[in-house]
Amino acid sequence: MSSALEQIEQQIAKLSSRAVKKNTGNIRTVADGVAKIDGLSDVMYNEMVQFPGNAIGIALNLEENEVGCVVLGDISQLKEGDEVTTTGKLLSVPVGKALLGRVVDALGNPVDGKGPVNSTETYPVERIAPGIIVRKSVSQPMFTGIMAIDSMIPIGRGQRELIIGDRGTGKTTIAIDTIINQAKINKVGLASGDKNFRPVYSIYVGVGQRNSNIVRTVAALEEAGALEFTIIVAASAADNPANQYIAPYSGAAMGEWFMENGMDALIVYDDLSKHAVAYRQISLILKRPSGREAYPGDVFYLHSRLLERAARLDGKGSLTALPIIETLAGDVSAYIPTNVISITDGQIFLETDLFNQGIRPAVSVGLSVSRVGSSAQIKATKQVGGKLKGELAQFRELAAFAQFGSDLDAKTKAQLERGGRIVELFKQPAFSPSPIELQVSVLFAMQKGFFDPIEVKKVVEAAASLKSFFTTRKDALLAEIRTKGALDKDLEAKLQAACEEWKASFAA
Amino acid sequence: MASQAKAVQLLARQFFGMSMVDGAVSAERVGGVLEYIEKTSPANEMAVLREYRRLIAIEVAKGVAVVEHAGAIGDTTLSSIASAMAKKYSRAVTATAKPNPALLAGLRVQIGDDVYESSVAGQLAALASSV
Repeated sequence: MSSALEQIEQQIAKLSSRAVKKNTGNIRTVADGVAKIDGLSDVMYNEMVQFPGNAIGIALNLEENEVGCVVLGDISQLKEGDEVTTTGKLLSVPVGKALLGRVVDALGNPVDGKGPVNSTETYPVERIAPGIIVRKSVSQPMFTGIMAIDSMIPIGRGQRELIIGDRGTGKTTIAIDTIINQAKINKVGLASGDKNFRPVYSIYVGVGQRNSNIVRTVAALEEAGALEFTIIVAASAADNPANQYIAPYSGAAMGEWFMENGMDALIVYDDLSKHAVAYRQISLILKRPSGREAYPGDVFYLHSRLLERAARLDGKGSLTALPIIETLAGDVSAYIPTNVISITDGQIFLETDLFNQGIRPAVSVGLSVSRVGSSAQIKATKQVGGKLKGELAQFRELAAFAQFGSDLDAKTKAQLERGGRIVELFKQPAFSPSPIELQVSVLFAMQKGFFDPIEVKKVVEAAASLKSFFTTRKDALLAEIRTKGALDKDLEAKLQAACEEWKASFAA
Repeated sequence: MASQAKAVQLLARQFFGMSMVDGAVSAERVGGVLEYIEKTSPANEMAVLREYRRLIAIEVAKGVAVVEHAGAIGDTTLSSIASAMAKKYSRAVTATAKPNPALLAGLRVQIGDDVYESSVAGQLAALASSV
């Protein structure tokens, strides 16, 4: 018996002392997060390579004489002649629920000082997007909590909706509001004990952002109690371009884990303009031919392969993507904006003029669209907000026309006043998303003319009063709207009565 | 600038091709190429020579197994390594010994870009990276 054991142990000893084969190369140059390497004759495209000092790289350019790699991690220790080895693996990041509430870098390493991430699974950063057969059409709503969006530009689970606008127009705020709203819905849903409730987990990917902005985002999420449902992937402006390039793909891998395991997730890419700039920098150093605006030829594929990974899978979960693009002077016809507009299923366009006029969120109703349309809305929202977009468009047209003269007929005047009230009604402070049942109630009051006697300037105040009236005194009615999801005659009567009650109290 | 570099590479590669006989570098052919370069002085002679040297060095390295060792190593071990490598790569391989006390114990064989390592230092490094 003991000889049998000895034989096995000898075999194990032989295996453990067997020579390990590695394919190696030497660094020829290192610059701006890109290393050019001699050798590495067996390296494969996109393979992870190991640099000295725990830095890793990805082989992106396989040339006749050298290999171009992006270096992830600290490149300050690397020098010419250092040995680089292949690993035979694709770059992977930790995934799973252990990442929730954490701030990680592009490689999934924690950067929040809360200790190591206890994740047991990893997913490759680069993956082929789900094919046609496994996909399901988008039909479940993803509420942003922003009335102007949920009622007119609805977003569905598995959709890709672009948030586009100039700097300082509130793009990130919309994304953060959406994350906060998911957390609020999750808390209510999980507390209700409903077995069919599907929570939405969020991933915020900050690319090329200032560190102070990322800290502010983390603080806003923490304050709203949303951090426990959120993963933050940070590749700030201080990180090298390689980390900024890889961060959105790492975030997508983390989101895919939720999708593959029957859960729903939301991912925000903030922002893809800076991502494209980081990729341009890498490509230029790799000496890839440059095209329009000096971006490489595959900059479209850079974003299309990322955004195609957002989907709703048959029998599994979904991944909804909210990419952000920053425009310059409202120019949506620039290279990167047009690319991403054509990839996504719609866009929320934010206008500087509206923002400066105090209309916040500064959503331009005319230029914003959701290609999924009303199939991602609940029936109650369609009932009260179905005609809103048309009414607002008519208002904008009439408002422009009315500037030329003061003599207007009564109908036009009424339309203008109504439009003005709708605009006021859609004003919403940052980081305070409204639940969908509250949105339905406010829109119901507007459709039934409860705001008509109120002066336009006072509509914001009246809406706030109505919201507080419903949340404090009509909780049961709100819960009924939430569970039914549609307004029947009984609910309509109850809503009418509640609005009358509010009207009396507000007038007093 | 880029086209100049390309021209240098192209010429160096042509010289490299001329230096090969039956898939191996021929010293005689290399001598002939060097003589030709000296006589004709092509544009960017220094760059061409450097690139030519690099290509030849890569090719020569494919036929030389550099055996790094921490302790003593005998001629029989070297020759057995050379014959094993020759069989594996289907080409003539010579082995040269290179003492490397940093390995602590064991061997590290480099042939071309491939490294075969069976040393205590290598195992410690693998252990450190897995912890």
